[in-house]
Amino acid sequence: MRSFRVLATKELMNLLRDRKLVFGLVVIPLVLFPLLGQFTSMGLSSAQGVTKVAVVNMDSGSYGGLLVKTLNASPNVSLTLISAGSVEKAIEKARDMGQNVLVVIPPDFSKRLSSSETASVQVYGIFTRVGAGMKESVSEGRINSVIQLLNREIAMIKLKELGINNPKALVEPVNATSYSVVKGRIVKVPPSAVAAALSSQAFSVPLIIFIMITLTAQMAAGSMAAEKENKTLETLLTLPVSRTTIVASKVFGTAVMGLIAALAYMIGMKYYMGALSMKTNVSLSSIGLGISPAGMVLLAIVIFLAVVFSLSLAMLIAVFAEDVQTASTLVSAVVLPLAFPSFILMYTSIYSLPACIRWLLLAIPFTHPIVDYRKLLMGNYSFVILSVLYLTLIALVTLYVTARVFSTERVLTAQINWGRKRWDD
Amino acid sequence: MGEKAVEVVELRKDYGKRAALRGISFNVRKGEVFGVIGPNGAGKSTTLKILATLLKPTSGEARVFGMDVVDNASRVRRVISYLPEEAGAYKNLKGIEYLRFMAKLYAGDDEKAEDMVKRGIEISGLGERLNDKVATYSKGMTRKLLLARALMVMPKLAILDEPASGLDVVNAYEIRKIIKDFSRKGVTFIVSSHNMLEVEFLCDRVVLMNAGSIVDSGTPHDLMAKYEADNLEEVFMRATCAGTDADTMQMRLSGCEHEEL
Repeated sequence: MRSFRVLATKELMNLLRDRKLVFGLVVIPLVLFPLLGQFTSMGLSSAQGVTKVAVVNMDSGSYGGLLVKTLNASPNVSLTLISAGSVEKAIEKARDMGQNVLVVIPPDFSKRLSSSETASVQVYGIFTRVGAGMKESVSEGRINSVIQLLNREIAMIKLKELGINNPKALVEPVNATSYSVVKGRIVKVPPSAVAAALSSQAFSVPLIIFIMITLTAQMAAGSMAAEKENKTLETLLTLPVSRTTIVASKVFGTAVMGLIAALAYMIGMKYYMGALSMKTNVSLSSIGLGISPAGMVLLAIVIFLAVVFSLSLAMLIAVFAEDVQTASTLVSAVVLPLAFPSFILMYTSIYSLPACIRWLLLAIPFTHPIVDYRKLLMGNYSFVILSVLYLTLIALVTLYVTARVFSTERVLTAQINWGRKRWDD
Repeated sequence: MGEKAVEVVELRKDYGKRAALRGISFNVRKGEVFGVIGPNGAGKSTTLKILATLLKPTSGEARVFGMDVVDNASRVRRVISYLPEEAGAYKNLKGIEYLRFMAKLYAGDDEKAEDMVKRGIEISGLGERLNDKVATYSKGMTRKLLLARALMVMPKLAILDEPASGLDVVNAYEIRKIIKDFSRKGVTFIVSSHNMLEVEFLCDRVVLMNAGSIVDSGTPHDLMAKYEADNLEEVFMRATCAGTDADTMQMRLSGCEHEEL
């Protein structure tokens, strides 16, 4: 135990003092993600800002005036009335004035509505520079909402004129009130709000797990290959310490560093998401989808075991690499194809997939933290316990195989170097 | 001086189809400085790596203080200290931290570890520079730190592969002096070198290796007398050219050609 503690401390100290590593794993996510969120948020705020609407009212009737009045009363809309003889002239004027949208009310607008015919309004989104087009899209949406509101009002006025006492009942004959059923319990929240709350974790959990797995795997491979590159491996292997202790201490040291990095990523992501206002008013716990303290412990165990598997596998691969760069390439080639398939769970539940794909995904240890997180939200502990057993088995087997390979001279002689073996004199 | 620290019997090591060691045998007595000398590719490092439990022999036996290096590898590691030819230390650690880390792995408790570190500080002669990161050390400083690491634990057997390799005259002299000092304190040394003058100064006995075989062995004095040579370099050239072993014919030939040049 003393040897393990000494080796693990050295491993951690060595990693924490690697400025490049700390900068890439801790500083960047803590600084870059929130900054990225702020910038994106600024862009979104700008798109959500006041829509400058130019209106050409060629109609002399009352309905044209009503539309202008309704547009003027709409929130986030700044209205400018312009006069122009043709649509082309109006567009030119609106563009020169820096307007986002031009609404053209035709001369027969009121006449057609008065004679119970459909009247048209032309809406032009004015693109003055190449961007994401979000501002123009938002503006168009606002105008359409106003038109919709106007349609409803005009329909009600017409119905009243026809002597209908309760026109609203005809315009909106069905009124739907939405609820959600979560874990068999009715919650007074519409499914869209529950879906919004769930969607934030549907993307972030697989992404964080993926980042954590790949980062720690790269670190472990780098740590092992650096022993070769810096010529410290031979000394390490002749110390009075078992090879299993050496491998286990490296796994532990790298896992702790990996967890620190994961924490930095989670904090960075939280700020990123927060800046994007992806938070919903509905929290998962308020609709009965929280994870209990016992569930959190189980989840931590699952993540830890998946990381141990990843680290052991990376070290096993790194044994065959001659230097850090080769190790990094080899680990990417093996770990990434194992970690990518879990991305499918961003878009669907594992139970929506065909059985063969489902079992294939479940065979990959990296899928389990994502599936288990969802199971724990639903309070399904038995699946998670089975998951823990499976991950324990596979992590121990990989750790054992790595320690076995580490106990042989292959660790010194088996090096990927154009297929040749190293020759000692 | 009579007890065997190392016994090597018919040791053979193949890397694929190529034989690195062709059945060598020798003994190292307790307390002596034993030299394994020969040119590059002679099999010196392979021999030392087998004794250090890093490589497994293809056939034959090697024992350290009576313990088989294959069957009792973990016990052997407790009594040896190995300094590889091309060795480094953890660059992000300070010199003192490196010594402390190593001492803790050998010592049973912190008190013993601190005693080892004190000895390491003395051997290294690096003074205040021990508080700097290893990354800032010169090659000579790193080698001294590594030698200090190897000897501060007072191993029963120190296996040093080219201990003064690539060092300037001053650093090489200091390292040889340290080895001599520790030999007097009872540490047995097995040292490989292709610098035969260095070995002549340092070693009580030597084996001359060439192409995976032992050409001759004895004290430097006896070998020089036997081959009527002024130094071990001459001994080596005459031994490799006058031998009759068919396996070493190729190397003998190249040696004679070299001598003619």
